Amino acid sequence: MNPNPFWQNIFRNQANKQTLAYFLSQVPIFSKLTRRELKFLEKIVHIRNFEADEMVFSAGDIGSGMYIIRSGEIQIFSVDNNGKEHDQAILDSGDFFGEVALTATRPRTAGARATTATSLVGLFRSDILEATIRHPAPTAKILFGLNRVLADRLHHCSQQLELLQKAQEPDHD
Amino acid sequence: MTDSTGFRRAQVAVMYLVLTTAIASGIAIYSSATTFTTLLRTATSGLFLPILLAMIVAFMLEPLVNLIENRGIHRTFAIFIIYLLFSATIVLLLIIVGPPNWRGMMQALKADVPRYISFAIVYLTGLLELAQQHFPFIAHYNLGDHLRNFSQALIGAILVQTPRSAMRIGSLLILVPLFSFFFLRDSRRIMRGLISLTPNRYFEMVLDIYAHISWQLSNFIRGRIIEAIIVGLVVWAGLALTDIRYAPILAVVAGISNLVPYVGPIFGMLPGITIALVDLGVGPQFWWILCVYILIAQIIVDNMILIPILISKVSNLHPLWVIMAIIMGGKLYGILGMIIGVPIASIINIVILEIRQYRRTFNPYNRYFSSRGKML
Repeated sequence: MNPNPFWQNIFRNQANKQTLAYFLSQVPIFSKLTRRELKFLEKIVHIRNFEADEMVFSAGDIGSGMYIIRSGEIQIFSVDNNGKEHDQAILDSGDFFGEVALTATRPRTAGARATTATSLVGLFRSDILEATIRHPAPTAKILFGLNRVLADRLHHCSQQLELLQKAQEPDHD
Repeated sequence: MTDSTGFRRAQVAVMYLVLTTAIASGIAIYSSATTFTTLLRTATSGLFLPILLAMIVAFMLEPLVNLIENRGIHRTFAIFIIYLLFSATIVLLLIIVGPPNWRGMMQALKADVPRYISFAIVYLTGLLELAQQHFPFIAHYNLGDHLRNFSQALIGAILVQTPRSAMRIGSLLILVPLFSFFFLRDSRRIMRGLISLTPNRYFEMVLDIYAHISWQLSNFIRGRIIEAIIVGLVVWAGLALTDIRYAPILAVVAGISNLVPYVGPIFGMLPGITIALVDLGVGPQFWWILCVYILIAQIIVDNMILIPILISKVSNLHPLWVIMAIIMGGKLYGILGMIIGVPIASIINIVILEIRQYRRTFNPYNRYFSSRGKML
């Protein structure tokens, strides 16, 4: 028992918790993957490092994949016609964004910028497409996990919409 | 103190110094660059063919390896399985058919090549005389001599080059499987490493373009090779029906020359036609051989069946580019260059088309400019 957090950091944070596979297993999308599938996932993602204030993408760029934040902080914002920025969200470690562009080529709807030095894990369409040919089973599971989280979001969205509609109904009368 | 150009003497001196330094360093860079490129060229000269062949083999085997790999077998192991299957097939063929009679074939070729060429010389001289009757001004051009010199050079080359080319083929037999093994196993990792070097801003674009290009390229190369193999087989089958000799060699020539569009097939059938004329004379068999070469192999099989199925229109080159690519390839690498010049030109074409396509649709700076190129 060592009360000093410094020593805890050295000895408790074992090597396996530093690995990319461990990080990915903590992300909700990939939480149901086995160790082998995580190893596979590790091979198809790209790690990109961003400096503070570096743009990840801007609105209107053609996106080709999603990013998961490994460390650091990402600001999602949109720009109105006057060129003024409006913050949409601040995301940090474990969150993901840009998933809309993973399945189809479409422009990014908002911009993303790193507010601090940030490490992102990128999962891109071309890699997924190749992986479906070479390793269909694990890829299907990865896409299924993504689908599950997106479906949750959609469900949540429609619930909110319903609530909003209900709240608005008295105004119409 | 100023002279007529308006520069002071000190300025002129400085300018003189700067220019001299610039020129000197330019020459230095140029000469070191040329020595460097010559060094590089000598170092890599023997590598060109094995790497090219290994890439082609890798492109051909890729789908098979993927097929085995997606059964859940490790990629390295899958490649070994493919290699094992291939060598087993070759060994089986050797056992069943027996090793080809290289010695006899060489002897026969050595005896026959002069015969065929002297026939061609006689035929061409006859043509020339006919032409001279109509166009007297070409009287001094002695085509026969040219051809004779060429044929002597060819026979000499065959005699001298055979042991050397046997050595080269031996080294190819080792290098090509080795290289293609690593290409098959690690090409993805190598390309990922290279792509990851691109700056964040362009990373997604580069990744996307690379995926498109590699897809197009592998389809193109696979299509071309399969086309050549099928045309070769068709020619072989067609020729095997007649009494013509060297049908397998002629089929190989026809298949390889088929890699060069427009011009290749014409040159590919010249040896076959010559041999047919010499050995069989003009008769039903000759017309059948001509029919096999032109009508069956080229028009029906290649142009009507294979090209629409295998080759996408995207990679089509204008005939002008094809001819230029053949000439330039020939200047650089001789006959090999002529064969691979057009595929390489098509590859460059695919790369340029893909990048242009991406820039048009996915230009990240599109929104800053109007459709007429004005800043918004």
